[in-house]
Amino acid sequence: MKKFIKWIASGWMLILFFVGFFLFWEYSIPLFDIPRYILPSPSEIVLKGSADLDKLVYYTGVTALETVLGYIIALILGVGFGIAISFSSILRRTLYPFFVSIEMTPKIAFAPLFISWFGFGLMPKVIIVVLVCFFPIVLNAILAFNSLSNELTLFYQSTGASRLKTFFSIRLPAALPQCFVGFKYAAINATVGATIAEFIGSDKGLGFYISIVTGNMRPDLAFAGIFFLTVLGLTIFGFVTMMEKILIPWHISMKRINR
Amino acid sequence: MKNFIEVTELKKVFGNGEDEVHAFGPATININSGEFVSVLGPSGCGKSTLMLMVAGLLDSTSGKVEFENKVVNGPKTDIGIMFQDNTLVPWRTVRGNIELQLELRGLNLKDYQEKINNILKSVNLDDFADRFPNELSGGMQQRAAFCQAMIHDPKIILLDEPLGKLDAMTREKIRADFQKLWMVKKPTVIFVTHSIEEAVQLSNRVILITPRPGKIDREIKIDLPYPRDLQIKRSAKFTEYVNSIQEVFHKYGVI
Ligand SMILES: Nc1ncnc2c1ncn2[C@@H]1O[C@H](COP(=O)(O)OP(=O)(O)O)[C@@H](O)[C@H]1O
Ligand SMILES: [Mg+2]
Repeated sequence: MKKFIKWIASGWMLILFFVGFFLFWEYSIPLFDIPRYILPSPSEIVLKGSADLDKLVYYTGVTALETVLGYIIALILGVGFGIAISFSSILRRTLYPFFVSIEMTPKIAFAPLFISWFGFGLMPKVIIVVLVCFFPIVLNAILAFNSLSNELTLFYQSTGASRLKTFFSIRLPAALPQCFVGFKYAAINATVGATIAEFIGSDKGLGFYISIVTGNMRPDLAFAGIFFLTVLGLTIFGFVTMMEKILIPWHISMKRINR
Repeated sequence: MKNFIEVTELKKVFGNGEDEVHAFGPATININSGEFVSVLGPSGCGKSTLMLMVAGLLDSTSGKVEFENKVVNGPKTDIGIMFQDNTLVPWRTVRGNIELQLELRGLNLKDYQEKINNILKSVNLDDFADRFPNELSGGMQQRAAFCQAMIHDPKIILLDEPLGKLDAMTREKIRADFQKLWMVKKPTVIFVTHSIEEAVQLSNRVILITPRPGKIDREIKIDLPYPRDLQIKRSAKFTEYVNSIQEVFHKYGVI
């Protein structure tokens, strides 16, 4: 309870801002005579959206599955390739520049191709999410595993420890903070990838829903879909941030002290 | 009889062709067991390069390093090592960092707990055993790093400007701590520094290195009793040593 009061006390400005924002939105619709097929009011979005709740919840599950599946695959591949590239000079001279140059391509541009190759199902969406998430993860992982200080490298060499032991005792924990930079960036982009993939070709999911209801002149339902998408994105990002706090608490506290 | 450590005609050239940097040598140095030797020279003269070659952490261009008649050709593991930037990891406490040295060497942590407590006490860190490095001052961090470098009782300790980043007052204090520990355990120490006073205060012998490419200008035996406290530092003999070394570097235009 005390904590809650403290939280309210520190966040009151933000809360006030949100309340003000939605009130302004609500009352400027009649005030400026904005037609509801252009911009509905928040109360109408809630009202109409809750009538469609079953569908929205189901579609959120569909999009969540695509996003989470793609994100996890990208995580495994990204960290795996990141470690392999960091430890192999051959890969560093071949795969690494290859990845860097692909990084410049907007991955989402491949979406129509994948849809035409693999159809409307789950797989093309997952592939697109993987593609969007993989590059920030792999590039940050490479950076992470290559930035061990000279002193620490010399130190572990002087102990005669095996490569495996040094990896788990020093290299891996030292790399985690920079890895999480990539994980978080990818988490933000994951839902974007899934949504756009659904825009392009699908028969379910929140992206599908938003594009259909917008075509039917129902911006109220589109906003309801966007709301659920936001909740999904925040949940995934929140989970990754929580994992960061659990896995590298020392890093968080370090930031706090250095500030 | 051969010396404990023999460095023979050791030389290091980095890079090749246009980018060639002649960093150190050739130089020959002999060190006895239990001796505290300082390597003193201006910044960039190749002191760190020498130390890394002695530790087997850097290949030499020519010449050799021998420990008890055995040629070094790879990282030496029966050493303790310490740098200007310490080797404490931020995700472990002071105790955890000391244990890291033991873990990497496959030693049993249980056997060492008493020892860890004792060494922490000897450098006044016993109240900070469970703190993380970023909660400590720079001086305390270097003390902890010193414990980390010493915990496995290495016969040889290599210190590369371990006090380089500390303020004058803290340096003074930690020097005394180092000296105390050295007098108890008597490991062989190679201490790299660019502080003349520090070298004279701590060492049996000071090796003066010329500007790059570092060669040995001369060696000076410091004939003062240990522990070298404030009283000795105020003595005429101490000042004489410091002055004579200053003169050498003055000759090179370094000071
Ligand atoms: N890995 C390296 N590659 C190229 N040059 C180096 C390298 N390490 C050191 N040097 C050069 O060798 C010289 C001696 O360096 P160093 O041994 O670090 O000097 P000191 O420790 O006495 O300050 C410097 O000119 C430095 O730039
Ligand atoms: Mg140096």
